[in-house]
Amino acid sequence: MSAATIAVEVLVWVAVLTCLICCLGIVVMKDFFERLHYMATVSTVATVALLIAVVIQQGWGQAAIKMSLIVVVLFLMNAVLTHATARAARVRELGHWQPAPDEKIEGLDQITEGRHQR
Amino acid sequence: MNVWLLGSSVLLFALVPCGIASFRGDVMERLVGLEMAGMIVTLLLVMLSEGMGRVSFYDLGLALALLSFGGGLVFARFLERWL
Repeated sequence: MSAATIAVEVLVWVAVLTCLICCLGIVVMKDFFERLHYMATVSTVATVALLIAVVIQQGWGQAAIKMSLIVVVLFLMNAVLTHATARAARVRELGHWQPAPDEKIEGLDQITEGRHQR
Repeated sequence: MNVWLLGSSVLLFALVPCGIASFRGDVMERLVGLEMAGMIVTLLLVMLSEGMGRVSFYDLGLALALLSFGGGLVFARFLERWL
């Protein structure tokens, strides 16, 4: 068994195990916003591991280019979808997504101070 | 059976927690299960096409990634205001 074959097998199983653990995290976590974070690992670690495995197995050909496209789409998609979903949940809960005047948000003071200084 | 087909068979079990998440809880929590399932099935299609040695099947994964992105955004938008 060559080094490339071993590398491909390791990368495929890393991707599969990452997906399994993150899917379990979605079920185990109680809070909605905690659940959202588990999508990020799948869209970064698992997809990049599969891309490297495809490149090792087939080289930079048609498969690697298509896989790169899928990685880019999933990477960008996850960022936008996570924001949109979290925003939708907050709007459903409060009616708006901006912080309420009496709401305690960690680090919000530093952000607003930075804006005033500019 | 090569490692890609074996891995894709194991990856099918990742859809079980997504299904459980989609069948319980608030409607927004169900949406997270759906979005996660979209990503998992995209990777599953990629692994199947690599395992079967058909490069043209990669287009299925790409199409599903784009469509699940649009679908998730539409769901989030509708759940935000109207549903």
